[in-house]
Amino acid sequence: MQSSYLIAGIIIAAIATYLTRVIPFVFFAKREPSPLIRYIEWNMPLMIMVILVFYALKDVKWNEYPFGIAEIIGVLIAIFIHVKFNNALLSIIISTITYMFLIQKVFI
Amino acid sequence: MKFFSIFKLTIPVLMGYIPLGMAFGLLLSKLMIPWYYAFFMSTFIFAGSGQFLALTLFASQATILEIGIATFLLNLRHTFYGLSMVSTFQKFSWRKNYLIFGLTDETFALLKTSEIGEKDREKVYLIITALNQSYWITGSVIGALLGNILPFNYKGIEFSLTALFVVLSIDLYKKSKLHKPFLIAVVIGLVGMLGFPSDKMLILSLSLAATVLILFRGNLENAK
Repeated sequence: MQSSYLIAGIIIAAIATYLTRVIPFVFFAKREPSPLIRYIEWNMPLMIMVILVFYALKDVKWNEYPFGIAEIIGVLIAIFIHVKFNNALLSIIISTITYMFLIQKVFI
Repeated sequence: MKFFSIFKLTIPVLMGYIPLGMAFGLLLSKLMIPWYYAFFMSTFIFAGSGQFLALTLFASQATILEIGIATFLLNLRHTFYGLSMVSTFQKFSWRKNYLIFGLTDETFALLKTSEIGEKDREKVYLIITALNQSYWITGSVIGALLGNILPFNYKGIEFSLTALFVVLSIDLYKKSKLHKPFLIAVVIGLVGMLGFPSDKMLILSLSLAATVLILFRGNLENAK
């Protein structure tokens, strides 16, 4: 691949990505945030986070073996440990190790 | 806040970014692109799915304009993250430009849920963002250089990012005053996961969530 093409592509991708991140700051930089913006700031992050969970699972094939069982078990373990022990790191490590074990050794 | 406790906050991202970055670097090397482009891309673009998309577009020799538009549309969801950060970043110095640049899904998630006193906040945010980016760069360069020869079977380790989102959802749920938005997001996420086209799932679901949140503001705020 030509290096001039790659460099131009990287520059344009970098600019496009930065634009998506900077737009809200350009539009709302100077003003005092309106009650609507505050309301969005308060409530949108939780919705984003929940949707990100489903987004992370979007490529699971639910209708063929093993029907996403490993993912469901992993998520349930993550929820259980975090609710029970309130320890994010523990929850992430144990659920990930369980998940890796399941997809590498059990549901092959 | 001590550096070590900040580092601890970022460990889940470390566990996700290294293997994911390696997968990216591996793909890049399979396309016969020299490894240092992995470094440049992770340094200047710093967007997981955006960089994978860029590689796909490079491989199909897409035009520069197509690359720009596709990347913009794919990453449009970041606009929602910025919207949730406007007033926090407003008080920061010029360094906030780096925070804005580095607002990936995972960085946003950490910043939004970490509880940091106002005095320390800017510094801690900068360290979190820089650490996250260093993991991403490291992973992608390792992947590009030696992804093919590493013996460790890290298949499935990217689940740590799913688990991170689960854990952070729980934290945010505990903190939130309104609980209906949570239920609405579960329904939208479920519908989006099963019904929306995979490559547009995130932006469609987020737009839908924002629309519902704004349209039903009266109902949601009154029904506590």
